[in-house]
Amino acid sequence: MLVLTACAPTKPPNIGLDEATRMLAAARDAGAPTYAPMELRNAEDRLSQARARAAKHDFDEAASLVQEAQVDSELAMVKSRLGKAREKVDTRVHENADLRQQSDSGANPADAQGGQP
Amino acid sequence: MRRLVLATLLIGVAAGAMAAKHDLDYERLRANLDTLAADPMLGRLAPAERALAEQAVQALAEGGSRGEHAHRLYMAERRVDIAYAAAQAAEQERRLAELDREHDRILLEASQRELQRARMDAERTRMESELRAEESERLRLQGEQSAQEAEAARAEAAQTQRLLDAQAKSAELARKEAQLAEAAAGDLRKRLSNLRATRGARGMQMTLDDIAFAPGQAGLRPEAKASLGQLVAFVNRDPAKPIRIEGHTDSRGKPEANHVLSQRRADAVRAALVAAGVAANRITSVGLGEDEPVAGNDTEEGRARNRRVDVILEDQPR
Repeated sequence: MLVLTACAPTKPPNIGLDEATRMLAAARDAGAPTYAPMELRNAEDRLSQARARAAKHDFDEAASLVQEAQVDSELAMVKSRLGKAREKVDTRVHENADLRQQSDSGANPADAQGGQP
Repeated sequence: MRRLVLATLLIGVAAGAMAAKHDLDYERLRANLDTLAADPMLGRLAPAERALAEQAVQALAEGGSRGEHAHRLYMAERRVDIAYAAAQAAEQERRLAELDREHDRILLEASQRELQRARMDAERTRMESELRAEESERLRLQGEQSAQEAEAARAEAAQTQRLLDAQAKSAELARKEAQLAEAAAGDLRKRLSNLRATRGARGMQMTLDDIAFAPGQAGLRPEAKASLGQLVAFVNRDPAKPIRIEGHTDSRGKPEANHVLSQRRADAVRAALVAAGVAANRITSVGLGEDEPVAGNDTEEGRARNRRVDVILEDQPR
């Protein structure tokens, strides 16, 4: 109660810190440490700077940094999505090639075998 | 306040240079976005992200404070990057979906080939088992045929065996008959060669019993010829004496027939003695029939003794 009354007049405006934090966590979960480490680090730096600015009540600058952190997280997320998709494409290309080869090599001897007896 | 200071400071060349740099950033990002939009593949993808990038780049053109520009530039650059990355990701995902379809198609084709192969295998197996069935049926028929042949051969062998047995039996019988005949002939010869001279009422005599003749026949048996030697020796002991040959029968049959038979038998003996060199004029032969029995005619043994030919060396001429 004491804290609440003391802090109430200086309560910071909602500049989206919570949203930016959630997006950063989402980017990490999406594989950003692997697929977009630079973008992730940018987002982390921007977010910590934003927190520092907010702590100094520089809310305008903090808001800008939050926006930048969010867009960095978003980029990290979409690059992770791209990296994963590329990996899956590579894997599947090889799988298909192997499968086709197996299927072809499996079919030919069988045809030859079919003619033998 | 800050803006005012900035404006006063940057009047002139500085302001112009700054504006030119801003224009370069804008144009660079604008060109990037245009390139993305014009890309035949990526241009159609991630339109929402590109729209946000367009907004961010547009905001860059609207100018503002230096700090604002740096922020807007940062945002615009990131938005353009996001637009690119999103389009590329969408493209990769499109490819991935295509590859998944291809993957399924390969598997489907493989399973169809597998099915086809399995059908062919099944067909081949069916044909092979049909062939095997035919083969075993053929073998079975062959077996049946050879069993029949074997049965026929067995029957034939049994027949042959029976034939051989029968032949052996008849050969055995023939052999036994021959043995019996031989024994009988031997017995006959023995009896016929065992003549003894005895003294009768008219002189010494020898008696040929009836076995020297076949039953009812007048001729001497071949076996009896051997005993002729004894008879000849007997009658030649005293060549001066006349020889009387008497034929006798048992009492069976008609007396006349018995007389005729006994006469003919006596004649047969006479002929035999003559043939052996005995002078014919010494010999008289008579048939006495059943008139002078030496034993009873009521038994076979007696009748056998009565059937005889007596050869008598007469002491005195009649």
